[in-house]
Amino acid sequence: MKTRRYTLSFGLVLLLALFATSHQVQAALGEPVDSVESDREALSAVKGAITVHTGYTVHQVDSDSTSVREYVSSSGVVFAIAWNGLVHPDLTQLMGSYAGEYERGLEQTPREPGRRSLLVETNRIVVEKWGHMRNLQGRAYLPALMPPGVSVDEIK
Amino acid sequence: MKSSNRFVLSLIVALGIVCGAAGRGDAAPKKLVSIVVTPSNPSIVLGTTLQFTATGTYSDSSTRDLTKSATWRSSAKPVATIGNAAGSKGTAISRAAGTTTITAKSGRISGSTILTVTALVVITVSPANPTIALGTTLQFTATGAYSDGSTQNITTSATWTSSAASVAIISNVTGSKGVATSKAAGTTTIMAASGSVSGSTTLTVTSAVSEGNNLLPISVNGSLCSANSYINKPCVSVTVCTPGTTTCQAIDDILLDTGSFGLRIFKQALNVSLLQVVGSSGSLAECVQFGDGSEDWGPIQRAGVKLGNEPEVQVPIQVIDSTFGTLPAACRNADRSPAVAGFNGILGVGLFTHDCGSACAHSARNGMYYSCSGSICTGTSVPLSNQVQNPVALLPQDNNGVIVRLPNIPRGGLPSVDGSLVFGIGTQSNNVPSGVTVYPASQVGEIVTNFSGNTYNSFIDSGSNGLFFPSSGLLPNCPSPVSAWFCPTSTMSFSAVNAGASGSPSGVVSFEVGNFINLMNSFNSVFADVGGNGAGQFDWGLPFFFGRDTYYGFEGSASSLGTGPYFAY
Repeated sequence: MKTRRYTLSFGLVLLLALFATSHQVQAALGEPVDSVESDREALSAVKGAITVHTGYTVHQVDSDSTSVREYVSSSGVVFAIAWNGLVHPDLTQLMGSYAGEYERGLEQTPREPGRRSLLVETNRIVVEKWGHMRNLQGRAYLPALMPPGVSVDEIK
Repeated sequence: MKSSNRFVLSLIVALGIVCGAAGRGDAAPKKLVSIVVTPSNPSIVLGTTLQFTATGTYSDSSTRDLTKSATWRSSAKPVATIGNAAGSKGTAISRAAGTTTITAKSGRISGSTILTVTALVVITVSPANPTIALGTTLQFTATGAYSDGSTQNITTSATWTSSAASVAIISNVTGSKGVATSKAAGTTTIMAASGSVSGSTTLTVTSAVSEGNNLLPISVNGSLCSANSYINKPCVSVTVCTPGTTTCQAIDDILLDTGSFGLRIFKQALNVSLLQVVGSSGSLAECVQFGDGSEDWGPIQRAGVKLGNEPEVQVPIQVIDSTFGTLPAACRNADRSPAVAGFNGILGVGLFTHDCGSACAHSARNGMYYSCSGSICTGTSVPLSNQVQNPVALLPQDNNGVIVRLPNIPRGGLPSVDGSLVFGIGTQSNNVPSGVTVYPASQVGEIVTNFSGNTYNSFIDSGSNGLFFPSSGLLPNCPSPVSAWFCPTSTMSFSAVNAGASGSPSGVVSFEVGNFINLMNSFNSVFADVGGNGAGQFDWGLPFFFGRDTYYGFEGSASSLGTGPYFAY
């Protein structure tokens, strides 16, 4: 209960921070929560709901093509993102400083023809894509930064 | 603890001394006390033999094998005889169905057991009186019924024959025993025999592929696919024409994909010129992404498209061309060639009539459509009429859906199989639904699947070449480099429950998953029992389709099964 109240007020502070920051060029995964705003700009998206969960908050940004949900730990770091929509979002932006590691991991992942899903796993990141035309989905997360007690199944 | 250990130790020592003394003192001659005949009360099939063993027990509790010295007798010689000659001592030979007492005697001591000889009475061949389409195969099963009331699958031991080899041949080769392969339209009697007993059924082969104008042949890893195709790849041939002309080209190695909507063909495979569709301020182009992250980029052009013997339709298609304009970020890794993608193109005939729909008609930031002037491409909105469209929805008559019709295939797979894509639902005599359940789909074309206690969004996709789902620890992945597939030690059977998007109706689907590496060692290319781990969804790929008609009702179109989007099977 106490934790939840703390998270809630922390979320409100972050919300104010979102409005205050407008020209952050930092990206998302592994970055402070204010990178959600730069993601929003890069995706030409509008802010959706912020939902509070035990141990983290979810910031949703919706564009005309895709909904992206950024998972922010109670210490204010984006530890995971999930999405669904007409296209997969541009992960170069959303992966932030991990973009290079993702690209290298992707190059080393063999093409599986006939498959409707992708798993890219490197030392620090896991990226999964799946779905079909009209509903492409996926998630990316940093296993080391997952808050204790939070399951991968919650990132969806 | 310590003291009790010491007690046990001294007890063992004491017992050892007692036993040792008894052994040394035994000098009296030992006497045969009893004989036991094994195996005890066995049952054998007429025509087979069984070796019995006689074991004698002596007054000192020792035992000895008396098989070669005992005198053997069978109480009912018409049922079974038993050998007493050197080399055949104790070997029972079955002569007729019934029971007999087998006795082994040594001096005045004897032992016995009852031998039951069962006879194969009837062989039943199933499925009974089936009909298959020319070009397809069917696995038959022979079941033997015995005089004691038991039954047994004797498919692999029976001898199979087909009365008309010109209509269908049937295999007696280990691994494919009882698989009939159709050769021509007609009927033939399929017989399974074991000794003097046999059973039969009539197989009818229809020339389904050439009957009716609403059929497109599907060749899974067969003649319509490129050499060295990946496994479980359903291929079709599509004829593409310069609009308004008779300049046409038939292109094969086109993936039949019920998970997408519209026709896409690689530029490298295309020889006829098409009409470029105009975007907001230039040439219309599209970036299409798939679930595995692969991307197809290229211009949208209007083509005349012929599907089988259906009338030609005019429809925007995507020409896949990674050199067109400038690749947008969403298509940074766009497939460059048929070799990279694994096919010449994709025919998307799934639940929707447009690849994007109203979202792309209303927003320029849809992420899929672009207008290119020179090399500059910017996002654009596109009216429905200019979007890539499911060509089946434009047919004059058979336009309310499709049926994917593929035959059953046996465990272990086949090199290739043929089937049909049927256009229309209830529009002709060959596409009238019977005995199917309709599963209404969501706005994004999904139903739900409950598997192993979890509920997943799911879809039925001919473009997926396996059954892909979260294994929940039930199935081990294969070792690298094929860890994307499952490798259970033996084939495992599962069931899942499919339900409409709103939760009803629901129905059980049974499926099998075999060891991918073992299956691939067979040199077959089509398998009903391959799968792999996949996050987030239950993807009913090609194995789902074998042995059934799978219906796709298009969005907004009515049939006797209701209004789409729906799956039915």
